Amino acid sequence: MAQDNFSCVLYGAGKVRFEDRPVPEISDPHDILIRISYVGVCGSDVHFWMHGGVIRMVSEEEPLVMGHEASGVVHTVGPAVTRVKPGDRVAIEPGFPCRRCKQCKEGRYNICPKMKFAADPPHTHGTLSRLFKIPDDFAYRISDSLSLQEAVLVEPLSVAVHGVRLAELRPGQTVLVQGCGTIGLLAAATAKAYGARSVFIADINKAKLDFAKGYLGCATFVPDLTSTPEQDAVRLKREMDLEDGVDVVLECTGIEASAQTGIYALSAGGVFVQIGLGKPLQALPLLAMCEKETVVKTAFRYAPGDYEIALELLDSGKVSVKPLISSTVPFESAAEAWERTRKGEGIKNLIQGVQD
Amino acid sequence: MTLTGENPSFVLHKVHEVSFEERPIPKLSGPRDVRIEIKQTGICGSDVHYYTHGAIGSFVVTSPMVLGHESSGVVAEVGSAVTSLKVGDRVALEPGIPCRYCDHCKAGFYNLCADMKFAATPPYDGTLCRYYILPEDFCVKLPDTVSLEEGALIEPLSVAVHVSKLAKITPGSSVVVFGAGPVGLLCCAVAKAFGATTITAVDLVPARLELAKAVAATHSFIPTRGDSAAESASKIKEVLGGKAPQFAIDASGAAASVNTAIHVLAQGGTYVQAGMGAPEITFPITEFTIKELVAHGSFRYGPGDYQLAVELVASGRVDVKKLITHRVKFEEAEEAFKLVVKGQGVKILIGGPTA
Repeated sequence: MAQDNFSCVLYGAGKVRFEDRPVPEISDPHDILIRISYVGVCGSDVHFWMHGGVIRMVSEEEPLVMGHEASGVVHTVGPAVTRVKPGDRVAIEPGFPCRRCKQCKEGRYNICPKMKFAADPPHTHGTLSRLFKIPDDFAYRISDSLSLQEAVLVEPLSVAVHGVRLAELRPGQTVLVQGCGTIGLLAAATAKAYGARSVFIADINKAKLDFAKGYLGCATFVPDLTSTPEQDAVRLKREMDLEDGVDVVLECTGIEASAQTGIYALSAGGVFVQIGLGKPLQALPLLAMCEKETVVKTAFRYAPGDYEIALELLDSGKVSVKPLISSTVPFESAAEAWERTRKGEGIKNLIQGVQD
Repeated sequence: MTLTGENPSFVLHKVHEVSFEERPIPKLSGPRDVRIEIKQTGICGSDVHYYTHGAIGSFVVTSPMVLGHESSGVVAEVGSAVTSLKVGDRVALEPGIPCRYCDHCKAGFYNLCADMKFAATPPYDGTLCRYYILPEDFCVKLPDTVSLEEGALIEPLSVAVHVSKLAKITPGSSVVVFGAGPVGLLCCAVAKAFGATTITAVDLVPARLELAKAVAATHSFIPTRGDSAAESASKIKEVLGGKAPQFAIDASGAAASVNTAIHVLAQGGTYVQAGMGAPEITFPITEFTIKELVAHGSFRYGPGDYQLAVELVASGRVDVKKLITHRVKFEEAEEAFKLVVKGQGVKILIGGPTA
């Protein structure tokens, strides 16, 4: 087996090595190999860099190639592949479901118990390699007007699309997006594209909020950490001139106090979607929720159709991701990109693919 | 005619021309496949239509094709990665293999897969043979209390389940089912299992309506030939004490039934088209619009339907045995087709070669 697949491998918290690995082989007729062009850094990558993993950990014995937000150029295709051909520029959907279980067949492959997601310990390697193998239906050709750098953001945009679709957002509704990280920004942009009458964005970080205001043109709210969530919700409604509260809340921080504030800010019958991941156990104001018949939905990654919608939003110009790209580092400086993200420098930092 | 061979199969060559052929024992195509020894096969209007017309719509029989798709059997061989079944398990076969890669498959609508390989829809062979290959996830294991004969009814029952799920039939509701053939009868049964409390079967044949009532219907109605759809609908409402139903299912394919259904439905009601008849008909579009009706087309069955069908039989909530009127041996398969052509019987079962 050729060992010419230069990769960025994590051996533990803070332990990264760059080494050759086996070139993936086309084993299923639907497989394709992609020459990776760019890989984005996500909060989860930073978590791996700092702690070696979230639930399952990497180790010296079982190191892991990192990265899951990626774009590239099709390199080789299996015999049954018809959707793409070598040379096609593609965005990559980095989770491969089993296709045979109840969840897969019901149209919810994102919750397939046998999902193989890029950079998931112990053995599902990520996209920070010269070549990466995927089934062809998880590669999406991008239009000429979209750069390979922008194509990396199709992945987080699809997370945002998934959350907005779960909310069943209808034109004319009001939306509160909590968090101005990549997901919050894209969730707000998507909510606008879905016809929300007003989108309000909240973040404790004023610099992020300022960027968001420029990027989206939305009204902003700064949570007051000395108030209770209930008090903050009252203030939000007053500042945003909302008598009843918002119709939809998209929670993109994972912070408990934020979720509570969001729920208190909802109008009766409103929908709360938890997109951000944070503390495993969090308290919610159930009594207030019952009295308002609040609908709560939880969102995980992206489901059938989300990538297509994300690409359509980009192609039609309804959402632009270019402003979110803050920096690009060479492949062997991947740790630098993780560090920048860890320190809150930039929004989306990219790592260039292996150069010849 | 060798019926003691390895894989005897009942083959359609062209209209009205069938024969028994010895075919090779099929091989597993992958580690997740199973090979099933067929024990019982029911036949359906579509099988008979290929027998009498050689085609359904754009699906044309151009080379010899094994008939049959409503089967149960016993697992004879399992692939190396099969975990849910073992040799000897009795199963109901879900006889359509989707591609799993297209948008429909991934979005939860594998029944709409453009590359669906469906048994006894040209060019794919059916199940009137000894052995058939399916992926393990398209076989549903039958509990000990469910017979292989009942197992062969799971296919049409799954059609009825699919219809009822699309309609979203709710407890306490009123449903009218047009057509009391096997699908219509099973729609009545599933509607009842889903909690409908008023179930009206409509057909021209009194004997079929008697069976409908034995199965699940609470009311029945025979339309008068010559009455308009609005008149028939009015009479059905009278039978129902003036209350229009929330759900109407057509399992007849007859234009008159479709029209009557639209007229009989309550405002905001739901209509599901299960039956297949003339490809184009005249439709009461104004009535449909002003009542804000919802209409669904229904095609075969999708995720979860087979599992629910087996559960309905196993729990006793649906009794499919009532629909079995004739049983023939494998060698007499053509007899079964002729009986259906003559309009006799409800569900005729053909035993497998080693039944």
